[in-house]
Amino acid sequence: MDEKAKRTRELLASFYSTDHSAGGGAGVGSAASPRKMASPDSINSPSFDPDVYMSLLVQKLNLEGLLQKHVEMAAEIKNLDTDLQMLVYENYNKFINATDTIKRMKNNIVGMEANMEQLLAKITSVQSKSDLVNTSLFEKREHIEKLHRTRNLLRKVQFIYDLPTRLAKCIKAEAYADAVRFFIGSKPIFEAYGDSSFQDCKRASEEAIDLVIKNLEAKIYSDSEPIEARAEAVVLLKQLNFPVDSLKTKLLEKLEDYLMTLQDEHKETGASALDTLETSEPSDIGKLSDTILSLKTPTGTHMVSVGEISKIIRAYLIIFPDSERRLIELIQELFTKRYGIIERRVKERMTSADILKMIRVIWEDVTLMDEVLAEAALPAFSLEAARSIIRQFISTSFSHLLLEVSEALTKSQPMPKKGSEESSLQNALEGSKKVVIQGSLDLLLEFRQLLDDNLELLAKLRDLIVDWVQEGFQGFFQKLDERFLALCGKGYIANPDSSVIDAIQVDKVQTGLVLVLAQLSVFIEQIAIPRIMEEIAASFSGGGARGYEHGPAFVPGEICRIFRSAGERFLLLYINMKTQKISILLKKRFTTPNWIKHKEPREVHMFVDLLLQELEAVGIEVRQILPQGLVRRHRHSDSTGSTNSSRSNATREDKLTRTNTQRVRSQFLESHLAKLFEQKMEIFTKVQYTQESVISTIIKFCLKSLQEFVRLQTFNRSGFQQIQLDIEFLKNPLKEFVDDDAAIDFLLKEVIGAAHERCLDPIPLEAPILDKLISTKISKSREESQSSSLA
Amino acid sequence: MRGASTGIVYGGLKYQARCIADVKADTDHTSFLAGTLSLKEENEVHLIRLSPPGSELVCEGLFYHPNEIWDLKSCPFNPRIFSTVYTSGETYGASVWQIPELNSQSNAPQLEHLISLNEHSFKIKCVLWWPSGKHDKLISIDEGNLFLWSIDTSNKMAKVISQESVGMLHNLSGGAWDPHDRNAVAGICDSSLEFWDLRTMKKTSSIEQAHARDVDYNPKKQHLLVTAEDVSGIRLWDLRRPKCPVKELPGHAHWTWAVRHNPEYDELILSAGTDSTVNLWLAHPPGANDSMSESPVDSPKRPKDSLLNSYTDYEDSVYGLAWSTREPSVFASLSYDGRVGNLFNNLMMILS
Repeated sequence: MDEKAKRTRELLASFYSTDHSAGGGAGVGSAASPRKMASPDSINSPSFDPDVYMSLLVQKLNLEGLLQKHVEMAAEIKNLDTDLQMLVYENYNKFINATDTIKRMKNNIVGMEANMEQLLAKITSVQSKSDLVNTSLFEKREHIEKLHRTRNLLRKVQFIYDLPTRLAKCIKAEAYADAVRFFIGSKPIFEAYGDSSFQDCKRASEEAIDLVIKNLEAKIYSDSEPIEARAEAVVLLKQLNFPVDSLKTKLLEKLEDYLMTLQDEHKETGASALDTLETSEPSDIGKLSDTILSLKTPTGTHMVSVGEISKIIRAYLIIFPDSERRLIELIQELFTKRYGIIERRVKERMTSADILKMIRVIWEDVTLMDEVLAEAALPAFSLEAARSIIRQFISTSFSHLLLEVSEALTKSQPMPKKGSEESSLQNALEGSKKVVIQGSLDLLLEFRQLLDDNLELLAKLRDLIVDWVQEGFQGFFQKLDERFLALCGKGYIANPDSSVIDAIQVDKVQTGLVLVLAQLSVFIEQIAIPRIMEEIAASFSGGGARGYEHGPAFVPGEICRIFRSAGERFLLLYINMKTQKISILLKKRFTTPNWIKHKEPREVHMFVDLLLQELEAVGIEVRQILPQGLVRRHRHSDSTGSTNSSRSNATREDKLTRTNTQRVRSQFLESHLAKLFEQKMEIFTKVQYTQESVISTIIKFCLKSLQEFVRLQTFNRSGFQQIQLDIEFLKNPLKEFVDDDAAIDFLLKEVIGAAHERCLDPIPLEAPILDKLISTKISKSREESQSSSLA
Repeated sequence: MRGASTGIVYGGLKYQARCIADVKADTDHTSFLAGTLSLKEENEVHLIRLSPPGSELVCEGLFYHPNEIWDLKSCPFNPRIFSTVYTSGETYGASVWQIPELNSQSNAPQLEHLISLNEHSFKIKCVLWWPSGKHDKLISIDEGNLFLWSIDTSNKMAKVISQESVGMLHNLSGGAWDPHDRNAVAGICDSSLEFWDLRTMKKTSSIEQAHARDVDYNPKKQHLLVTAEDVSGIRLWDLRRPKCPVKELPGHAHWTWAVRHNPEYDELILSAGTDSTVNLWLAHPPGANDSMSESPVDSPKRPKDSLLNSYTDYEDSVYGLAWSTREPSVFASLSYDGRVGNLFNNLMMILS
């Protein structure tokens, strides 16, 4: 059973392929099979050795176990045998079935061959018969075809002969489309035989078609025809190879002419409006509004015309679909010109209401046009135009304001009359203040109108407008500062190119103006800027088109700083100009005479009058412009002040005279010591924006200059006495100007001290003589003033 | 006063004084000459020396001078020679003096009178030495004339080489000799600065609209000078473009009396004024940063001209001002009450 069992198992395994390795392994001798190493008791392994298995079983099991194993094994073997048997039967069954089928097929095929041969024979006979029929019918068919062709030709000829009448009929019925269709249909024939057989016919039909063309042309030109009909006419004309392009250009030219007249109208009305604006007085508000209305009046007709244009354009678009570009050009040109007119007019002074009105009118037209001609991108175009217009408007507004401010400053300058001069500076200041604040606020109001307007166009520009306004203010104030500098002749440092002219102008600059500028700068810094800042914050915040990194365009802090420093500079400049003027006076006084050979003083020198006159002039200017200081001290009454001070001074001078020459040196040391213990006089304090501060600064500077001039001279006794007299006289009038008695006293004392030092023989005038000379001078000047007032 | 400047005060001058000069030729010491201005007393010339540690001002010599001194200049090549301009009542004169050999015994030895410049018919204003070294010429300026002298100190001889009258309308009050060109001199007129060529004695150019008190050439750069003016403060000029100033500095509260470039660092300008202050300015000359001035955009980068320090510790107007050539960080100022202040400051710190 060894050999046989193994074989059946292999067969089974290969058939059912339950275990590949088992079958493969057995065939090759299972050299590398891992099962070789498997336990020898596994009966299914390919290296199964029955003897080993047996001996193993015998060793492992007892008899009962062996018996049981035997029974098990016998049962298994029986099972396997039945399985095998069943398998064999099954296969055999299949085999028998297959054999049967093959046998049946063989029987069927044998009968088919005969049928096929029969079929072939039949087909060949059919073919031969059909050939026979074909050849017999061929002639007849050809004949028929020929007849048919002739008939068609005849029909065509008939059609062409009928064409003129048919066309005439069509023309009568205005069925131009049919006419064109007929004509085009017969065109090849005319082209081929038009010169020979169908000559008359061709001529007649061509005449008819000419008529058609003429009619069509008329139809296109006539505006009353419905657009579709006109478009159809164009199409028909095109089919007739009519030069439609020339027609189109002609039409477009017509449109152009129309637009031109429209523009001329605009220009005229614009110009006339301008004329009336120019001629009309600015105060005449009624007239102004009239002109604005008259600006409006042409819009009545013009609205119609724009509507018409839009209609025409729509028609043309349908009629000539390829004419779009040209139309766009035309329309853009039209609007460019119209915006151009506004732009030109913006250069003049206009209110924002005017601008809004104009922009709105145009915008309405634009929307109208846009419906028709969206490709022209008119809204974007207008946005661009409006942008530049508004920008221009804002900048011109600011430059106008700048002009107004400087006008307000300079206008009131040349005042020949004495009486009006009193208030001219004040007028200038008040006027320019008003212009600055009111002008700025008005501008803001105007610009607000721009912002508040609900026009779609402007809404898009909102941020830009905000930025522009802020930038405008920034630039305006910077330019204002420059203008101020130029006005007082200091501009040449900023622009050295024009230095020659400016340097000359320095002398001509009116000192009062400088003072006005100083005060105006303060006003701008303290009142105008905060006010404008508030306004801007209220309605012009945002913006941000510039980007946040730049910050807002309007930097009030910077402007304030500029004007603060400008104010201080102007104030100092004013003081400098005044002191320079007085300084020249003093210089003349001290360099002309020979002080060493001076004669005895007979009267107070007249330079004192000049000095006081100058100071008086300063006082007048200052009082007009600057506010009073807060602290007003007690004022000396004239008479007592004079005697007191002169006497006290006289006692001091007496003391000085008593000192003999040996003691002068110790005197010098003494005065040094006295100075050391005296509180150091603060002469050069910061100037404030008050009348007192400015005047006292000027006086202090002048007295200091006086002292310096004195120090440069050498005096004889009389010269010293002259100085003493002049100074003594000055004491009271100066105190009229200034309340800072201590400083004036100190400085006057310094002057006398300096003269004392520079005198070869310093013996002062005796007090009674001094008093007498002073009182004569006072009475003399009083008389003079009376006589001048009487005169 | 700030800590940066430590002032040393010399109290030896007993009278008012206007003039102080740096003894340029003294290479061993930092010394100054100061002359007093007293109408009635005997005037003195003090030779003041900064003691080596720089802590004290010592009077090295005190010499009597016959008249009050309105101008004093030290000879740039001989430390013992100097010139003065003096008046006495109506008389006036200008002389060159020699300091006698110093010996400690005599407290007030006599100055040796070398030369009198006595050709003047108007009030003499100043005497100028050529600032850049040995030169045998001397200029003296009076109100109406400009004299060029040839001097010989060893033989005590002086001879007028040429003379130029400026005319009646002008009134000369001072001048300066160009350190870069020994033939160019500037004179201060009433309302202008006039420039002469000494070879021809003719005016070469002028700066109008300059009411100058003092003028100083830039020691390092030719054609540049600075003026001190009553009202306009300090102005820097370029002689090639005399129409308008190159730069303006505010100057002083009252008149700006004197102005001097630092001999070593010419952008440092010292000014003295009648408001009893001395101001130290940093002003960059325009030549150095021309390229920068063309692009005003990057102005923040541009060094700002500024007031570095203001010395206010004076009792009276300051008329005398002198930098030390030997030690450029030292200057001497003289206020009218006769106090000489030597003021140090940390210039090096500022310059670095």
